[in-house]
Amino acid sequence: MIRSFISRLGRWQSVLGLALVFILAVIFSPHAHDGSIIFLAPGNLTDILRQQSEIGIMALAMTLVIISGGIDLSVGSVLAFSASLVAMLLVRWQPGLPETAQIGLAIVATVGLCTFLGVINGSIIHRLRIQPFIMTLAAMIGVRGLARWMTQNNNIDFGFGHDISADFASIFSNKFLVIGLWGAAAVIFYLLLERTVFGRYVRAIGENEKAAIYTGLPIAMVKVTVYALCGLAAGLAGVIHAARSYQGNPNDGVAYELDAIAAVVIGGTSLAGGKGSIFGTIVGTLIMGILTNLLRLCLIDANMELIIKAVIIIVAVWLQLERKARS
Amino acid sequence: MLECRIIEKHYGGVYALKGVSFDVRPGEVHALCGENGAGKSTLAKIIAGVVQSDAGEVWVNGEKVTFSSPAEARKLGIGIVFQELDLFEHLTVAENITLAHPEAERTVIRHATQDAFCRPFLRQVGLDVSPRTKLGDLSIAGAQLVAIARALSMKAKVLLLDEPTSSLTQEAAERLLNLIGDLKKAGTGIVYVSHKMGEIFRIADRVTVLRDGAHISTRPAAETSIEETIRFMVGREIDLASRVETPAGEVMALQVKGLRTLRLKEVNFSVRKGEILGVTGLVGSGRSALGEALFGLDPWTAGEVECLGKAYAPKRPAEAIQARFAYLPEDRRTQGLFLRMSVRRNASAVILPSLSRHGWIDFQREASVIQEELARTQIKMAHDALPVESLSGGNQQKVLLAKWLLTQPEVLYLDDPTRGVDIGAKADIYRIIKTLATEGKTILFVSSELPELLACSHRILVMNEGRSVALLETRATTQEEIMTLAANQPLLSS
Repeated sequence: MIRSFISRLGRWQSVLGLALVFILAVIFSPHAHDGSIIFLAPGNLTDILRQQSEIGIMALAMTLVIISGGIDLSVGSVLAFSASLVAMLLVRWQPGLPETAQIGLAIVATVGLCTFLGVINGSIIHRLRIQPFIMTLAAMIGVRGLARWMTQNNNIDFGFGHDISADFASIFSNKFLVIGLWGAAAVIFYLLLERTVFGRYVRAIGENEKAAIYTGLPIAMVKVTVYALCGLAAGLAGVIHAARSYQGNPNDGVAYELDAIAAVVIGGTSLAGGKGSIFGTIVGTLIMGILTNLLRLCLIDANMELIIKAVIIIVAVWLQLERKARS
Repeated sequence: MLECRIIEKHYGGVYALKGVSFDVRPGEVHALCGENGAGKSTLAKIIAGVVQSDAGEVWVNGEKVTFSSPAEARKLGIGIVFQELDLFEHLTVAENITLAHPEAERTVIRHATQDAFCRPFLRQVGLDVSPRTKLGDLSIAGAQLVAIARALSMKAKVLLLDEPTSSLTQEAAERLLNLIGDLKKAGTGIVYVSHKMGEIFRIADRVTVLRDGAHISTRPAAETSIEETIRFMVGREIDLASRVETPAGEVMALQVKGLRTLRLKEVNFSVRKGEILGVTGLVGSGRSALGEALFGLDPWTAGEVECLGKAYAPKRPAEAIQARFAYLPEDRRTQGLFLRMSVRRNASAVILPSLSRHGWIDFQREASVIQEELARTQIKMAHDALPVESLSGGNQQKVLLAKWLLTQPEVLYLDDPTRGVDIGAKADIYRIIKTLATEGKTILFVSSELPELLACSHRILVMNEGRSVALLETRATTQEEIMTLAANQPLLSS
């Protein structure tokens, strides 16, 4: 009954889910002294967006990877690598350049390297025909090692006051800049998937790779590009992460890949490939964010939070299963 | 021994079966005919217990039965071989046969016992492979025979075969028809679902025709004819037998000299513009390998090819498409189409760059260009935004054809385009092929059905074990000559 109703909603079902979670949050949110609902305070709502922006940016690129029929488990490690590298470049590198130039260079070099890690993932998956799960599992382990080795397993702490790393942190921990970056990335990824030839190829390859080969589509280009975009997104998220946490910690970002995948899946993208949308992923990311926020506002045990998330993932995916014609 | 009375089945508001009655007697072959969507497969699934009917009764051996699963149907002695094989490619032949088998499955598996159990049935169907062969290593024809062996091993009293020869070569089909004759003599009742009129009239005792889910007729085969049956199936007259009228052109389109790949041993032929070259051979003879090699999917180890007056050696499909060569793969569902994507997106997949500016798709142009082409190919559908999987087999094939015609090819390699499509769609495909030839396109038309090649080609290339063994003038050859050339080796040897 419920399922047949929900499946008739089509693409609006994820929005309905978001609305439901939002209403729940309004109802259960604790109230401030003046009686206002804490959840609805503008500061709280923008906090949710900022907190979700790192996962959100990675989930956008992850959507393309998953629609193309793959998966990228390495983004959490790449985020840690990125955060550590950008911190090292800001704290230990003294090229004697003007400050903006050094910050710019550090970011470009870091994000560039992370993109290159994605290119390696994509190339090996395509060339050696290693399953994406296995290749990116290896990359997840290897890149984590790389980040720890590079930093000798130390946190790279930013300075205080007015040195270059502190300035970087104050710029890139600005709520609105970070939310804006996520929003811009969302628009770009949406256009890429829905309006371009590349996006159409991503879907076609995920839907039926064999048919894509027989159609003469540029499979190598598409696959390498989606993993490169995933590396780029994780790199960017890592830069934001470093600024927010005021350090480069090679042990951060553990299990972030799973949060990103969960957001994509809650948004209705199928792990089987071919089917999914950027819009759904944004909704999925917001659902996870609001839920986490609500549970924390209600001071619910953080471990309980994980259990509730698990239930949400299963229910969301079950509701979105295509209804098979009953036989 | 099996009787269905006034069976009805609907999916949503659409009737798949409207009061169909059907019965099989011991030692009888009862053919079930109809176009795709006529309700044959639904009826077969109801008999097999895969699908439950909404109304009507099924009687087995004089008792009214209801079964809700294939296992229950099997217990009552009903065996079924589906068109889309329900086998496991990573398991061995023996494992496939004994899996969930009431007599042969044991908690602890002993390979020797398993092999011994399977051997007689494999021998019976004429499949000469070790029971330990992985199913995935067999050809489609081999897998089909395993499915039949499995049904036999269940001691089926009624055997239902759904399009059993659609993926078999003439020789393997021949063997299967003989096997059906033997089973019939042994008292098995056989329900034979097929499109192929020649086969039906060779083996069937009675013929039932369904159209649009309704029961049209049931007649003894001796009292009806192919023409009448087709008329009942289609509801109109159809001309399948007219030969190619227009002569081929003079200009050479494709010249292949000494082409070799890992799967092709030596292929030589040439074909002119406006010519329809039939290509035939057993499965595994290299007729698909030839198409894939010419399309740049399979690296060449030797050979020289000239296409439209230029040297031609594509390294990848994109280069072949550029040289105006199109290849329609054999298996449209797995190789040809993006099933869950819309008809429009399927048709535009190859030419998408030309419908876009700087990588941005021009949606209006895509819609208009595709609609125009679909209208020309006469595809019946409500809307081109529907997923291609919602179309019938024949219409899916036409979408695939439209997709490649949009690339404006000069040479088309059509790999078994009429496999598993209904008679009306077949006639349409023949018409499209002939029209293309009169427009000066070159067609390589692969098929296992010799009558259609004889009706729809100028010359016929016969493949055998990766070699081109003969290039025959269609008007001067016969089915027997082609078969002899094609079958000059044991089947399933590789």
